[in-house]
Amino acid sequence: MFHDKPLHCEGNFPRFSMKNFPLLRFQAFVLAAALLAIVSLRADNPPKKIALSDFPAAAVDDVVVPVPSEIFAVLDKLGNPNWKGQLRDGKVQTPEDRARTALLLGNVIAEGFVAVEAEDAERVKDIGRQVLTLANAINVRKAVITRCKSITDKADARDWKGVRSEFDGALQDVRAAMDELNDHDLSQLVSLGGWLRGTEVLTSIVQNGFSKDGAELLHQPELVNYFDRCIGSMSSRLRKNPLVSHIRDVLRKIGPIVGESGDSITAENVKMIHDLTREVNEQVIGGGN
Amino acid sequence: MKLSTASSFMFSRIAFQHCCLLGVAVICLGSPSLLRATVDDSVSFAYEAALPYYKQGFSIRKDAWGGDLGVREKKAVSIQLFKGNTYWFLMATEVKGGSLSVHLYDDKGNLVEDESWQKGRFAGARVNPKSTGTYFAIVQILKSPEERTTWALVYGYK
Repeated sequence: MFHDKPLHCEGNFPRFSMKNFPLLRFQAFVLAAALLAIVSLRADNPPKKIALSDFPAAAVDDVVVPVPSEIFAVLDKLGNPNWKGQLRDGKVQTPEDRARTALLLGNVIAEGFVAVEAEDAERVKDIGRQVLTLANAINVRKAVITRCKSITDKADARDWKGVRSEFDGALQDVRAAMDELNDHDLSQLVSLGGWLRGTEVLTSIVQNGFSKDGAELLHQPELVNYFDRCIGSMSSRLRKNPLVSHIRDVLRKIGPIVGESGDSITAENVKMIHDLTREVNEQVIGGGN
Repeated sequence: MKLSTASSFMFSRIAFQHCCLLGVAVICLGSPSLLRATVDDSVSFAYEAALPYYKQGFSIRKDAWGGDLGVREKKAVSIQLFKGNTYWFLMATEVKGGSLSVHLYDDKGNLVEDESWQKGRFAGARVNPKSTGTYFAIVQILKSPEERTTWALVYGYK
């Protein structure tokens, strides 16, 4: 009852008017607005559990390859890694083999993320120049000129978040430019090259202060399968490229290890992945095989 | 310092513009069927939804997903997430009057998001993964005046 008089009948309020109750009208308005806001913010009610098998392959998009800094951010939270100690020395030579150039480009961009973690401005700028040189070798220089300039400017300003964003952008620009040139396979190799270098650094840091939490970062089964599938769908010329073929072998050795549940990855497993990725990265940098 | 604030603002604007352009490029080039202006707009809206999180310190990835779906149609996007990071997934459509949702599940199909919201053409979901591994963002068009509705999804981490 809103007033002291008895109602004429249950459920019927012929004499009741909100006009007579300005405060109540305001409260009702606020309540309605709040309800509307809640309804609009949670218009859908997601099920607590779904059957992923309901999604056929066509309904599942490919994995987006994480950038190294996504993993490095976690390592920073776990401890205080010696990022400077992870930096590679020297400049890379531009290979003649386009597949290796693409792998090296991804590798060098990943090195850029390491240099950002190390907050080494000179190294960052040097890597920016290397990115430009390698991009030039595979005809995508134009796509990254602005990025490389920004990398230099932001490294000078010690804007590390900005530099990180520019390396991420450079990776996407290069890949987009390659896709535009119908070099989809090379575009995938850029991602793969970055992942290989990122994984080498990750395993090196985890080895130096082994912890279950650190090792768990290697639990990337779908990503490794994805790279394997990518190589499998490349042109036969690329699949037969000795370095690409070797990388596929390496992925197939890594796959079962990273496929284990995160807390099952042992120090020995980490060392094995480190040795495999370091060896393959040396080939990416220096050729051979 | 004013200069620093101005630079930060400039960077923010430039980064946002780059995000939009890159996202558009990545999506359009990834699938010829998506070479439509509407997808470009959806990507722009998705980055618009991501902007507040960028300002909160999240690094917004330049990679993006996108496509078109019918009403009530769902799509799963597989993602590698790392325990220790916080992720925001932001989704949008350019279709006026359209609404959509994004929710996050682990590889066993359990809902894992810590928070989600849905507001008209925008939606978002946040997760602090309990373990490192493969996750799925389930995107869905809830309602739309169009038969097919373009959408775009981006994510940020910190």
